[in-house]
Amino acid sequence: MAKRSLLTRRDFIKAAGIGAVTMGVAPTIFLPRQAHGASKELKILVWSHFVPRFDKEWYDGYVQKWGQANGVKVTVDHINLAEIPSRTAAEISAGQGHDLIEWIAPPSQFEPSVLDLGDVVKDAERRYGKQHPLCRASSYNPNTKKFYSFCPGWTIDPGCYRKSLWEKAGKGNGPETWEDLITYGGKIKRDQGIQLGIGLSQELDSNMAARGLLWSFDTSIQDKKENVVLNNPKTIEAVGYMARLFKEAMVPEVFAWTAVSNNQALIAGRASYILNSISAYRSAQQQVPEIAKDIFFTPALKGPRGTRFNSEHVIYCYVVPKYSKNVDSAKKFLLDLVGNYDQAMHKSELYNSPAFFHTPIPSGDRGYPAVKGAKKLIDLHNAWFSDDPFALPGEAKGKLAVLKDAEKWSANLGYPGPANPAEGEVFATFVLPNMMANAARGMAPGMAVEQATLLTRTIFAKWRKKGLVGGKV
Amino acid sequence: MSAPSVSEPAAVAARGGILDRESALAKMMIAPAILYIVAMIGVPFVLAVLYSLSDATTGDPSLKFVGLRNFAAALADPVFRLSLWNTVFFTLASQCIVVLLSRLLATALLKNFRGKWLVRFLIMLPWTAPISLGTIGWLWMLDSIFSPIDWVLRYVGLLGVPGALLGAGTNLYYLGVPGLAISSIILVDVWRILPLATVIQLAGLSSIPKDLMEAAEVDGATPWRRTLMITIPLTLPITSIAFLFGVVFTFTDLVVVYVLTRGGPVHMTQVLSSWTFFKGIEGGDLAQGAAISLFMFPVLAAVAILILRMARRTEVV
Repeated sequence: MAKRSLLTRRDFIKAAGIGAVTMGVAPTIFLPRQAHGASKELKILVWSHFVPRFDKEWYDGYVQKWGQANGVKVTVDHINLAEIPSRTAAEISAGQGHDLIEWIAPPSQFEPSVLDLGDVVKDAERRYGKQHPLCRASSYNPNTKKFYSFCPGWTIDPGCYRKSLWEKAGKGNGPETWEDLITYGGKIKRDQGIQLGIGLSQELDSNMAARGLLWSFDTSIQDKKENVVLNNPKTIEAVGYMARLFKEAMVPEVFAWTAVSNNQALIAGRASYILNSISAYRSAQQQVPEIAKDIFFTPALKGPRGTRFNSEHVIYCYVVPKYSKNVDSAKKFLLDLVGNYDQAMHKSELYNSPAFFHTPIPSGDRGYPAVKGAKKLIDLHNAWFSDDPFALPGEAKGKLAVLKDAEKWSANLGYPGPANPAEGEVFATFVLPNMMANAARGMAPGMAVEQATLLTRTIFAKWRKKGLVGGKV
Repeated sequence: MSAPSVSEPAAVAARGGILDRESALAKMMIAPAILYIVAMIGVPFVLAVLYSLSDATTGDPSLKFVGLRNFAAALADPVFRLSLWNTVFFTLASQCIVVLLSRLLATALLKNFRGKWLVRFLIMLPWTAPISLGTIGWLWMLDSIFSPIDWVLRYVGLLGVPGALLGAGTNLYYLGVPGLAISSIILVDVWRILPLATVIQLAGLSSIPKDLMEAAEVDGATPWRRTLMITIPLTLPITSIAFLFGVVFTFTDLVVVYVLTRGGPVHMTQVLSSWTFFKGIEGGDLAQGAAISLFMFPVLAAVAILILRMARRTEVV
């Protein structure tokens, strides 16, 4: 008689089937009861902040405390900034996911799938005063009259220069105009062998630098009414300038620029000037203090007619997808976040600036040394930028003072018009940095502008058809 | 009247129903794999076709059909045309190099020598590491400031001094100069696919009957003639499979370009998969992104059919 096996095929299939069914059904039996038993919930998706202690020492803890105080079970997920667009698209497409999603660029293309947060803005302005115009322009669509996101803060994008190098070149206080970059930056490259670092690549910082240059040359992609106005003599002048700047003061590394390249170049002592937030300087303070002590700041550089603008470096925009079942909690969270933005400013080591400068500072221990006489965020902003609480011992005083009036020379994506999906796609497909790079690589500036305009017009026409962008041309 | 006698297995089959019927059981066992393929490949493919015929965006994925407008727009876009050319060029250039190098490596690995296991291990290493991790490693190798390759070149005097062979500049800017950036992408594509191709080639070479080679040797065939008349014809089907697998992997790859250059400088290394991502996800134009990605389909379908035919021929061999 054949020996009977311990487990027949039939037994195996039955066992596997029962196991699979059990695994599949069990959660539906048990988990809903637990979920129903819990109180309100709020799921938040945010980027991993450039300043690591911001998340670890403040945001995550603040969120949990807020949840306890408001009877809400809060979950925070941090992701790399590069993953935000694809993750948001996936959640919107699936119709489920986080209740609040934080973007660091205007998420205008998601307008049809997110809630109008106009009531939150109204409430915030009633409590905390006017929202900064660049924050409003980064979250409001004037064509549909909808706040597709809520912006509680932003980041300044100053110029950072190495004082010792500029002193030797005869311009100790750093550049004041774009032309200074060619005159003195070129001299530094020739005499001291250190180049400038302004990206001409397919990435974020290059995009911002190109916009800042255009604005300072009194031109832009679109006008106030969202008509494409890129192809004009001032743009050609700006593009021609960039070609000269590359030739005189830069090297081909700027064509391979990444989001961290300017930080790395500055810290490695291989850049005399970069356009970046203060994060490069903060990194240098920790990694190479001697370089950090030599880093100083400039506001936006003046163009040929005296105009000066830089792009905001980061704009914090929260969206509430339409699928969210926790809208009230999400809105309350946003309002309370504005009310506690003093801590966001301090724990980000002044990387974050507020959208509501006139928010009163809450009383009590705020987790940082109290600033005498400070009643509103604007007072903290001025005091901290005048006397940096994170300066290294022996570092020059008042290095960040030039950032105090940054709101006057900072502009939103889309300036002088609002941010919109067309501007977003022009940004995402690197039209402007490539326009600059083409000229730097030898193309006639007029031709480079013409090519860029063709791409831009196609993009604008497409989004205009969807009713999300104004203008006619 | 007595009941008809039934043999024991037949009785068990009759009792057991579906679990003991071979044909039904086979279908049941293969069903999860088919379901998986339908869910993970079939549904996204159909969705991509639907999106490409609509005006869907990431913020509004509802489908309003616009016919072939997205395909026409893609064809009119100079960046798309460059991406299409780059995709074909990078794929063919890298896979030709891969076939050549993998044959050399496989031939070497057939021989017995000291440290063979270490060589095999090193060859397989790129295949075992996640592509993104390996590519980030290359990003540092090719960095504009910290490249160790440049450091070595400077150290041996080939770079960074007046009159040096590679120039007086401190760096070569591999990812910032179009020619070097294109070469870098091809290099990393080769590095990535080479292990797989080597293993496939090794299997092909091992399967050649030894008596055939010995007979040729006895008949006085030179090594070169043996290679031309025996090795290449007999391993052609499996070499073709290695080539076609490499084509599929490289043609559809996003990671290498995304990590190394993001398509730059000035779209000179842009490929279809990266342009799909920038246009469709980052730019928000889901429909246009879907249309761009579907341009890969005819090539991939043709390659898949070829692979299946080759595989059948290999079975005959």
